[in-house]
Amino acid sequence: MSSSTLAPTDGTPPGPRAHTATARGRVLPFPITGQEIVLIVVIAVLWAVLAVATPAFLTGGSIVPLLVAMAPVALIGIGMTIIIITGGIDVSVAGMVMVCAVVVAKTMVGSGVSLPVAVLLSVLVGGVLGLVNGLLIAYGRVHAIIITFGTANLFEFLGLRIFGGSTVNGIPGTLGFFGRGDAGRTLGVPHSFLIMLLVAAAAWYYLRHTAGGRHLYAIGGDADAARLAGVKVQRRVLSAYVLTGLLTGLAACFVIAQGTSTLAPNVGTGMELSAIAAVVIGGTSIMGGRGSVLGTVLGALLVQTVTSGVTQLGWRSQLASLFIGIFILIAVGADLLRQRARRTA
Amino acid sequence: MSTVVSPPTQAPRPDGGSTHPQSRARQLPAVLLRALLTQRIVLLLVLLAAVVITMTTLSSRNYLTAPFDLPYMSSALISAVPLVMLGLAQLLVIASGRGGIDLSVGAIVSLTSMVFGFAYGEWGWPLWIAVLLAAGFGGLCGAVNGLLIAYVGYPALITTLATYYAFSSLAIVINDQQPISTAPIQEFFSSARSIQVPVGGGDPLPVPLGTLTFLLPTVLVVWVLLNRTTYGRRLYGIGTNDVAAEWAGIDVRRTRFTAYLLAGVISGLVAVVTVAQFASARPDAGVTGSGMALPAITIAVLGGVAITGGIGRVAGVVLATLLIVWLNAGILLAVPGNAGSQFQLFALGIVLVFAALLNGLTSRRYGTTG
Repeated sequence: MSSSTLAPTDGTPPGPRAHTATARGRVLPFPITGQEIVLIVVIAVLWAVLAVATPAFLTGGSIVPLLVAMAPVALIGIGMTIIIITGGIDVSVAGMVMVCAVVVAKTMVGSGVSLPVAVLLSVLVGGVLGLVNGLLIAYGRVHAIIITFGTANLFEFLGLRIFGGSTVNGIPGTLGFFGRGDAGRTLGVPHSFLIMLLVAAAAWYYLRHTAGGRHLYAIGGDADAARLAGVKVQRRVLSAYVLTGLLTGLAACFVIAQGTSTLAPNVGTGMELSAIAAVVIGGTSIMGGRGSVLGTVLGALLVQTVTSGVTQLGWRSQLASLFIGIFILIAVGADLLRQRARRTA
Repeated sequence: MSTVVSPPTQAPRPDGGSTHPQSRARQLPAVLLRALLTQRIVLLLVLLAAVVITMTTLSSRNYLTAPFDLPYMSSALISAVPLVMLGLAQLLVIASGRGGIDLSVGAIVSLTSMVFGFAYGEWGWPLWIAVLLAAGFGGLCGAVNGLLIAYVGYPALITTLATYYAFSSLAIVINDQQPISTAPIQEFFSSARSIQVPVGGGDPLPVPLGTLTFLLPTVLVVWVLLNRTTYGRRLYGIGTNDVAAEWAGIDVRRTRFTAYLLAGVISGLVAVVTVAQFASARPDAGVTGSGMALPAITIAVLGGVAITGGIGRVAGVVLATLLIVWLNAGILLAVPGNAGSQFQLFALGIVLVFAALLNGLTSRRYGTTG
């Protein structure tokens, strides 16, 4: 049971991207795809409209929280992009955020560890959880969505057990470096946003310009063909889930830093869906084999712009979900149209 | 896997060794093992028996806070009603293939709850018309999914993720975040009560009314639809190989569209059940916590529905639900309080991962199985 059998891609070829060995540089697509250009235009238009509608929008007091709030979703989205490129999916990241956040929060309250130790702990816990997913998916040869539904329940159980039926109170401000406040900014730019950009740039380079990155696309295009071409499919797939676990651990630190000194057991709820939404709006194909990190970052920015914008316009905050749903449909529709045009051309 | 044609109703006979009658007796253990591993129904029956026997034993030795007996088991069925119905909805869409899945069922339940609440609780419509409206409205939501997936060609996972967002947002906005709990809605709670059903010679069992009015009819209709109609054969056909089905003259798009439409209708009916259980039409009825969609998909997968399409049986979904419901009910008695509901998550996760790994193992050892 290979991962590509979830959806027979009705004759869509995996694209020429999978073969980079012969003519380097020539076969790589243009660094920025149509979807990303459209996203940039849409975000620019939204920002312009919001700036006209509410003068307070284009001020530091409004943009900084927006960038801080999008950072954890984008960070998880980067990992999710890599997983989805290999043809998998991970719906357990919300549970992972919960476990990492509660472990770190309890440790900080209990023994007052320093910032690097807290981050390292969170990333390690995330990595271990990702390893569990990766081992089950790569070596159990079961479709990712089923395994991660299962581990989502297990992680939630683990997190709730550690919470022990109450909230974690009195979290010290150790993680303020990632937060919204003054400690979380350098020259007005939030650190969490900068770190997310650095990770995104590294992932972008890895996916585009290294053999390992191209292998991930090859696996998503056709796992059997990739294996026959000498790609170590299982090891690569495993590494994608571990990486997502590590990034989710870091994102959990951001989440703690953004919250108050109290951590409630509903931390992380719904993050799997927002991360997948960001990935999909960014133009990554859910069938695997196609996608980019840049698109995901833009997708996360769009989602957060809509969420903040709806609140700032004084509308009911839940209306944001409606717009996000519509944006997902438009983004995927545009991608389908372009694919169709490419096929008939 | 998607190319293997496996008739879902006619299970491969476990006594495949009948061509060598002389060695049949020696093969018996192997045959039993194979049946246990490859026939999901057999596995579920064994697990179900194990759960019931373990819990009854614990109960008879007074390890549990209350007796785990027949009346307790039958009143626990109240939580099986939405699970089975939504599990069947997932069976229909997952069996239709091409990555079929419906993440939006919980959001449809929320939105339809509100619509039903308006019709029955605010506008004073007769109950049966309000129920019809709920089914119809759920069907409309499902049709939106079906239209985009079957006719436009959107991937199911993304489409239903988008409609999940859209429907759950509308459900909250439609009545300004307020639940509807007017007098008729509160009286409607009476339809979620239990009735005493005399079984055999013993004491009458308290059976939740919802199992008789909603669960059994839905199970029967879906079973007949899948096993006794041409539509069912077409659905399994397009799920197994939609290119072949197209060449065989099946209207693939219409068949797949109908699957999502029916999933919407079932979700609409679940909305009515949910309103009755809560005695209130709540805007977040189907999406609180981890929502209703994820448990429903879990039940379907546990029941042997192959995520690749074309494989899945009604009996599997029903047995998987009974397993989970009675396991959960037992856990609540064994681990009282908050920890009990946490261990339920653990049990669900373990059972699902175990079943999925077993699937992977058996398909390597015996080939693709139903």
